[in-house]
Amino acid sequence: MSEILYDNEAKIRRKQMITKGILYSLLTAFAIFIVIPFYWMILTSLKDAEEVFSAPPSLWLRPSEWEIQNYWLIIRGEVPYGRFMLNTVVVSAISTVGTVLTTILAAFAFARLNFRGRDAFFMVLIATMMIPGEMFVITNFLTVSWFGWVAEQTYFDAILAMTLPFMTSIFYIFFLRQTFKTIPNELYYAAKVDGTSDFMYLWKIMVPIAKPTIITITILNAMGTWNAFIWPQLVTQFNESNRLVSNGLRGAAYVDEAGRVLYNEQMAAAFVVTLPLLIVFLLLKKYIMRGVSRSGIKG
Amino acid sequence: METIEIRLENLTKVFQAKNKEETLAVSDLDITIPAGKLIGLLGPSGCGKSTTLYMISGLLKPTSGKIFFGDSDVTSVPPEDRGIGLVFQNYALYPHMTVRQNIIFPLENIKMEKKEAERRVQYYADLVGIGHLLNRKPVQLSGGQQQRVAIARALVKEPRVLLLDEPLSNLDARLRLQTREEIKRIQRETGITTIFVTHDQEEAMSISDEIILMKEGVQQQKGAPQDVYDSPGNMFVAKFLGSPPINIFDGEIKDGKIMIGNANVGRVEKKKNQPVVVGIRPEGFKLSERSSFQVKVEFVETIGRDTTLIIQNPKASKDQANDIENEDMNRANTFRAIVDADEKIKPGDSIKLNVKPHKTFLFNPETGELV
Amino acid sequence: MLEEKHHFKAWLYLSPALALLLVFTFYPIFNAFYLAFLYNFDYMQRTAEGMTFTTEGINLFHNFRRTLQDDLFIRALINTLIIVFVSVPVSVIISLLLSVWLNSIKRFQGFFQTIFFLPYVTNAIAIGMAFAVIFHREYGLINMILTSVFGMEEGLNWLGRVSVDESTPAIRAWFQRYLNLPMLSLMVFITWSGLAFKIMVFLSGLQSIDKQYYDAARVDATPKSRVFRRITIPLLSPMIAYITITSFIGAFKEYTAIVGMFGIDLGPHGDANRLITIVGLVYKSLNEMDSVGAMSRAASAAIILFMMTLVLTLFNMYVSKKRVHY
Ligand SMILES: Nc1ncnc2c1ncn2[C@@H]1O[C@H](COP(=O)(O)OP(=O)(O)O)[C@@H](O)[C@H]1O
Ligand SMILES: [Mg+2]
Repeated sequence: MSEILYDNEAKIRRKQMITKGILYSLLTAFAIFIVIPFYWMILTSLKDAEEVFSAPPSLWLRPSEWEIQNYWLIIRGEVPYGRFMLNTVVVSAISTVGTVLTTILAAFAFARLNFRGRDAFFMVLIATMMIPGEMFVITNFLTVSWFGWVAEQTYFDAILAMTLPFMTSIFYIFFLRQTFKTIPNELYYAAKVDGTSDFMYLWKIMVPIAKPTIITITILNAMGTWNAFIWPQLVTQFNESNRLVSNGLRGAAYVDEAGRVLYNEQMAAAFVVTLPLLIVFLLLKKYIMRGVSRSGIKG
Repeated sequence: METIEIRLENLTKVFQAKNKEETLAVSDLDITIPAGKLIGLLGPSGCGKSTTLYMISGLLKPTSGKIFFGDSDVTSVPPEDRGIGLVFQNYALYPHMTVRQNIIFPLENIKMEKKEAERRVQYYADLVGIGHLLNRKPVQLSGGQQQRVAIARALVKEPRVLLLDEPLSNLDARLRLQTREEIKRIQRETGITTIFVTHDQEEAMSISDEIILMKEGVQQQKGAPQDVYDSPGNMFVAKFLGSPPINIFDGEIKDGKIMIGNANVGRVEKKKNQPVVVGIRPEGFKLSERSSFQVKVEFVETIGRDTTLIIQNPKASKDQANDIENEDMNRANTFRAIVDADEKIKPGDSIKLNVKPHKTFLFNPETGELV
Repeated sequence: MLEEKHHFKAWLYLSPALALLLVFTFYPIFNAFYLAFLYNFDYMQRTAEGMTFTTEGINLFHNFRRTLQDDLFIRALINTLIIVFVSVPVSVIISLLLSVWLNSIKRFQGFFQTIFFLPYVTNAIAIGMAFAVIFHREYGLINMILTSVFGMEEGLNWLGRVSVDESTPAIRAWFQRYLNLPMLSLMVFITWSGLAFKIMVFLSGLQSIDKQYYDAARVDATPKSRVFRRITIPLLSPMIAYITITSFIGAFKEYTAIVGMFGIDLGPHGDANRLITIVGLVYKSLNEMDSVGAMSRAASAAIILFMMTLVLTLFNMYVSKKRVHY
């Protein structure tokens, strides 16, 4: 081995450069694949009536060619996006606050309190996570109908129907319990010695320590509501003014007199629905990514 | 197995952090490691031992300088072509593989014929004494056993050089003692050039043919353990080697006499009058009525055949005594002397001490260099 | 005192979650089974002619049988299985490769990570509609590339109605019926939306692998492909198992993506239900509530779906037990 002369550093370096080059090219190619739908959505939304029906499609529009008016048509159009967005924000806020509260209380009981049947009950919850939601949807639809929240639906009925079934989540309880468990017992003992009640301990110590997890839960839950489609579609079928954005988007028909779909207006609407998510994502990337990575690790 | 010499020429490593901050981890190392010897690379934590080892292994690229294995310059040779065995501080055993799979792994990489590979695995597993554990997973082994597996994995491809990075630091005291003997034996049997990194001076002294002492990336001294102990080149080396550590006193040379306070503790020829730091090994004291170095005993510890006296430092001033931050407690407060257990001495006794000249070292108070 | 049991207090803390779970999770599970065994349940009248097992001359599995005998169910089943067994392996492999590549670069890692994560936060309806435009026969990007780059005469009719030519060989007809262009387009979209979560999980798994294993492998002259097969994959296997199981469960429930791309008719124009899945079938039955027994059929379809998921999950867990290193 020692006989081999090692003057091949340049060769090694060249090989490394080539490997790197291939690596970055592949990553870039996939990055483009990921970005294209967004790009195409925005691009199409800015095309004018003529441009959108030209084949082959143009890949690029100069700013002077942008048809911003499409967005005005969306906002002021027949489909009340403003109202749908408001509905979504209200539903999102209420269900998120509810979920976070019930989750914190339940996670605390599972993480800190000692009661008969705790572990068995917890196992039952975990097992329930495996059951597909469709098993619940049928009965839940019957239930909210029976409560009178579907037919002749008032705004208040709609809010109840869309929030109450989602005011708690086994997955989040599990997730938060894991975080609570990492808080050392000694803190609890110290608080007990100081005469702190369980409730005060939960709010003053555990919740602040677990804040990052709670923020993650809040974001994921709110985003989930923003994307909800099936359930709101079911429960607002008799009063379409109570729909959420996804339903509004899919339900609206953008066609011209000739029956052609107006893709530019459709994509403008899609982008209006997408934009808030992108903004939230870019602002709160850290929390969202952490939640996702963690949920994988514990699996 | 061929044995080769390793030579480091002006080896330097500078780490550059993201914020452009530079750390000089290894500075201008010039070392020759003789073929077939076990060398202890010794120094406090963070002095650049691992960095040196990783450069020799090829996992780190030197900032400047050269590395030779025998006559060939391997500085830019990738680690896989250097023919080295490396044992990591926490062993880095693949947790999902059995002991056998772990040890055979390097041989499969070079596509060694299966029968021969199996034979070698058994041979080296037996050599390190884990031949009966081949079907276990690493988690089912004790720390000492894992450590042996790591050594077997490093040896199995019969490398020209064996590099060990603090291999004993995860073991308990007993096991450490036992395993280091084992490593010495394996090294003798295989005759492989070995570099053993440790921050434990006793470990290095007991196992190495030669030790190399490092401080802040710079080589301090190199030599046979006893030689370095007996003639340290500077105050750092004197203080780092020896347990209990050497006693340090502020003193001066006055007309050829070494003075600690008013006591004369020895003579030096041809040295001008100057303040010095006097280092005296604990075993460098003798009880003697004819000495002017009179001190008061605070505690007496008798362990086996030795008695250690903890003695008030006559030079200690009041404010220094309370200064716990002071790095040399004995300089400030007390010092230690080891005497024969036959001497009946009680705490509170006042005794007179003579000092053995060859256990006494004088250092420049500013530079720490030998006077 | 600290070890003392707090029964009352604990249940008090649990009560809000528990009440909601009882009404909206536990009761529905039992009720789904109840519905599935009701005979001729008329939702509009809220009447039923008893249970299937108490009614003379009626098969215990009456509702299941009617579900299974429905032609649409066969189609839904096959579509679901295609989505499960094609899109899951493809997206798991792609995301595994992407995360390994991503993990091996330093510069722009955060940038690529952000991009690859984008699909996770998007609205499936909105993006599905964008994909529909991309696959559009005349104005879409795909056909433009096919014609201008690959020189095809005219693009493919990706999202158009499928005509099954029964005179062609059975295999051919089968492909026309199930593995057709609309299905391929849908698969691209489903893969696209599934990558983000998998990449994140794999990447965090990769980053938690001790770098020393790679140093050790390097010193031992391990070829790159072998490092990947013998070290990376086994050490990542818990994440791979987790992702595979959750993706299979998710793929069994595919529905919104189809609505996003094709509308609530679940198929190309004039070819409704071409891409229907089992979940799609559940919702379809739910929307025919004025028909007698529709609720029971929906419930039985949901239970069949549950059983299939359960079997596959148990199988996955069994394989993981043997193959996954923890
Ligand atoms: N990858 C690195 N980047 C920056 N600095 C490093 C790196 N590795 C080691 N160092 C620094 O180099 C010095 C020597 O480290 P090391 O060789 O690990 O010390 P030792 O093994 O002797 O404890 C330390 O100051 C350490 O902080
Ligand atoms: Mg080190």
